[in-house]
Amino acid sequence: MPEIVLKNITKKFGKSIAVDSLNLKIQDREFVTLLGPSGCGKTTTLRMIAGLETPTEGEIYIDDVCVFSSAKGIDISPDKRNVGFLFQNYALWPHMTVYKNISFGLENMKWDKKKIDERVNDLLEMLKISEYPDRYPSELSGGQQQRVAIARTLATGPKILFMDEPLSNLDAKLRMEMRTELKRLHTETDSTFVYVTHDQLEAMTLSSKICLLKEGLLQQFEPPLDIYHNPANFFVADFVGSPNINILEVKGENVNLDEVKLIHEKFSFLFNPKSSSITIQDGQELLLGIRPEDISISSSGDVEGLIYSTLPSGMETIVKIDIDGFILTCVVFGGVDFEMGEKVKISFNSDNNVLFDKKSERNIAIGKLM
Amino acid sequence: MNYKNTLKSFIKKPHNIILVSLAIILVYLTIIPLLTIVGDTFTVHQSEMMRVKGSRVGDFTLYHWVKVLFSNASRKIFYEPFLNTMVVAFGTCFISILLGGTVAWLVTRTNLRFKGIISTLFIFPYIMPSWTLAMAWLNFFKNSRVGGAPGLFTAFTGIETANWFAYGSFPIVVVLGLHYAPFAYILIGGILRNMDANLEEAALILKAGRWKIMRKITIPIVLPAMLSTFLLVFSSAMSAFAVPAFLGTSVRYQVLTTQMYRTINGLNPGYGYIIAFIMIAIGVIILGINQKIIGTRKSFTTITGKSSNISLINLRGFRSLISSLLVFMIIVVCIVPLISFAIESFIVEPGNYSISNFSTIFWVGAGSANIANSEPGILRNPSIFNGLWNSIRLSVLVAFFAGSIGILAGYAIVKKKGSRLSILVNNLAFFPYLMPSMAFGAIYLSMFATRRGFIPPLYGTFTLLVLIGVVKYLPFASRASVGAMHQLSNEIEEAGTIQGISWWKRMTRIIIPIQKSSFLSGYLLPFISSMRELSLFILLVTPSTRILTTMLFQYNEKGWSQYANAINLLIVIFVVLSNLLVTKITGASINKGIGGQ
Repeated sequence: MPEIVLKNITKKFGKSIAVDSLNLKIQDREFVTLLGPSGCGKTTTLRMIAGLETPTEGEIYIDDVCVFSSAKGIDISPDKRNVGFLFQNYALWPHMTVYKNISFGLENMKWDKKKIDERVNDLLEMLKISEYPDRYPSELSGGQQQRVAIARTLATGPKILFMDEPLSNLDAKLRMEMRTELKRLHTETDSTFVYVTHDQLEAMTLSSKICLLKEGLLQQFEPPLDIYHNPANFFVADFVGSPNINILEVKGENVNLDEVKLIHEKFSFLFNPKSSSITIQDGQELLLGIRPEDISISSSGDVEGLIYSTLPSGMETIVKIDIDGFILTCVVFGGVDFEMGEKVKISFNSDNNVLFDKKSERNIAIGKLM
Repeated sequence: MNYKNTLKSFIKKPHNIILVSLAIILVYLTIIPLLTIVGDTFTVHQSEMMRVKGSRVGDFTLYHWVKVLFSNASRKIFYEPFLNTMVVAFGTCFISILLGGTVAWLVTRTNLRFKGIISTLFIFPYIMPSWTLAMAWLNFFKNSRVGGAPGLFTAFTGIETANWFAYGSFPIVVVLGLHYAPFAYILIGGILRNMDANLEEAALILKAGRWKIMRKITIPIVLPAMLSTFLLVFSSAMSAFAVPAFLGTSVRYQVLTTQMYRTINGLNPGYGYIIAFIMIAIGVIILGINQKIIGTRKSFTTITGKSSNISLINLRGFRSLISSLLVFMIIVVCIVPLISFAIESFIVEPGNYSISNFSTIFWVGAGSANIANSEPGILRNPSIFNGLWNSIRLSVLVAFFAGSIGILAGYAIVKKKGSRLSILVNNLAFFPYLMPSMAFGAIYLSMFATRRGFIPPLYGTFTLLVLIGVVKYLPFASRASVGAMHQLSNEIEEAGTIQGISWWKRMTRIIIPIQKSSFLSGYLLPFISSMRELSLFILLVTPSTRILTTMLFQYNEKGWSQYANAINLLIVIFVVLSNLLVTKITGASINKGIGGQ
């Protein structure tokens, strides 16, 4: 079973550290996304697993075979790792036709002509580009180039597929369409996908597990919804989710064993953790994260504010509410429109609010606000 | 009325005015001369009256064409030099592309050592005057069979060099090949640097071997640009004069340029003009082919995106060996010739390399009656200083005008991209590149010897030298500028226009500062080129307008090789130092004028 294991992988470019002792275990048939802001080392990580970049330290195993080890001096070249790679800019060969681009890998594997022809035609069909086998890449649109690149990568039937921001050059609509197709491809081809992106929405919607990186350090490696609802630290909470999570700087006070009081400049809450127990020091500085969809606007709410702005998009409306100079973002389902300056009441009735320590930025507890 | 308004709005835009004026001026300075030359191939000249019986000067005649192409003498006059030229041009292309391409690949794609030194030093042979290596070759390998003293090689080893090795096509091809290798290096290096390394990696992942990737991916993708490099080197090699003159004449090895020099300076200018015309025609065909190649559907520039992750090929065990070999070779080509000039400039009796024969008289001597007509040493020689001053003055003026006009040309060409006028000016500005320098000089000589409209007779004036230099080197400046303007989005200027900033201010405060280094490169290359140019000016200088290069040629013709060597050393040092200085201070580089990135 193809399983990818990274052990203490470190990559340095000169003095700067791109990836810092990364440990990762990617199971067979997973769809893993490497997510993070630009320069966090995600592309470098992907290229190191594929063998296009040489790690400075560490070990990489693919399917229980050691393909790289700095200690043992092993470095298996990319062509012997049995992987596929989809490049950000597609890297289609401009001097070859679509057909030739797809068949090149098969020719290298010494398939016979008839089989190659069958395989290429299947792929052309599958990716809906069967009208263009004789065109050159420069004569195709971005979306079509993308499909050719996918067909070329799939042709040799690799069990592991690496993708480096493959959708970033497409327009929003096409991107949506390709996402659906990539997810279908994942199940159809029955292979492992490792996918690099800086778009958190893409990571959320596509992957079975997200690996979130920041400045070369692993932040969290879990399924998307776990990352969303139970972020390991403040950075993760802030990076994932659109619109951004609301962050309130609060001071904590112990009330009783399973409750703490959170005092904000403008208001105060009682926080009731899911895991029932929580320990803080009195006066400890904390950060309270409230997802926008966890704030509801209703006439029975307990906090009053003024509408600062509304952004209705039809399906949902993003509303910013000004509470005595403090701005909160919330999301209302459906196309609601408010007057600017209108008075509204809000309430916090979800039990998914996150509490971080301000100093370490670590997740302390998840719970209910009262 | 409507027509008037159209004209009005056309004139309002500065780039239109630039394009129209450039079109007119360049037609006058490049196309008219071409027509003059065609006319000259059909007319009887002063010196030809005896031969073309019963004719007067200026009569129409087919004599030249018949003689050059369809007579018993044609083989000697035209076909043999033509064949020699082809051998030289193809041979030069082969050596320079192989060498330049290999070095470019090593520098951009592998973990070669000493990349900094190699990429700086490797372009030296192109910066130095082309005959530098030719003179060095003679200093080392000349033999006594042709007369004169033998070279260093024979003096030290006692082995007499063979004629084919010392003179003729072999050394010409080697020397020109080395001279133009940097040119190929710059162009191919630019392509390789711009070529997306992902293209090669994609093939690697699909299990193609290194050699197969080279054969099926890398070479086919860079091929159009390689061909274009080939054509540019070909046309340069074809019009080279100094090297074949140095290495070929003593064994009567003629190429088209040397033949042209002989005939135009001699008794048959008509022959020379035909040769010039044919060379220009070949140049134009080359330009046409080049433009065809650039516009094909397989062209790779249309695919966007650039990879920042280039993984270098590990040369492993060969790394140090290849690196040191390359550095050694470059030192042999760049430094050793200079040492040979120094040595040659210090020996009194040529060919005698014993210590007692060394002297500084050719540098600082006051001049004695028994050596070279009491010519003083070059550091005490007022005429040398006069030549140096002329050379500097000429180069600075040529660089200033060519560079500035080049900026305007590039600006206007890119602004009106795609329009017929813009294409016309672009081609006109590139056209002088294809004109063999010698032929160009010859035409200007005949064209400006008399008063032309409001232009007074310019022959013998310094202005004529500046004029021809500016036109000849405009291609370098306009190429650098077109490249720079292409990188600049139009919106940058429009943002200024909207705020009501005047055109002059937009140019001097926005556009020029942004692309400073590219534009400066457009000044640098004309400067260096005029500093080391010989064949362009040789027909046009008079004793009062003598420049260093023509003096060098004269000293060499008189056989005073010590002076020639000393002057050459002076020129090389001056050119190399000024190039280094400008590159270091401003970040400009000659690469951009040639078309590299």
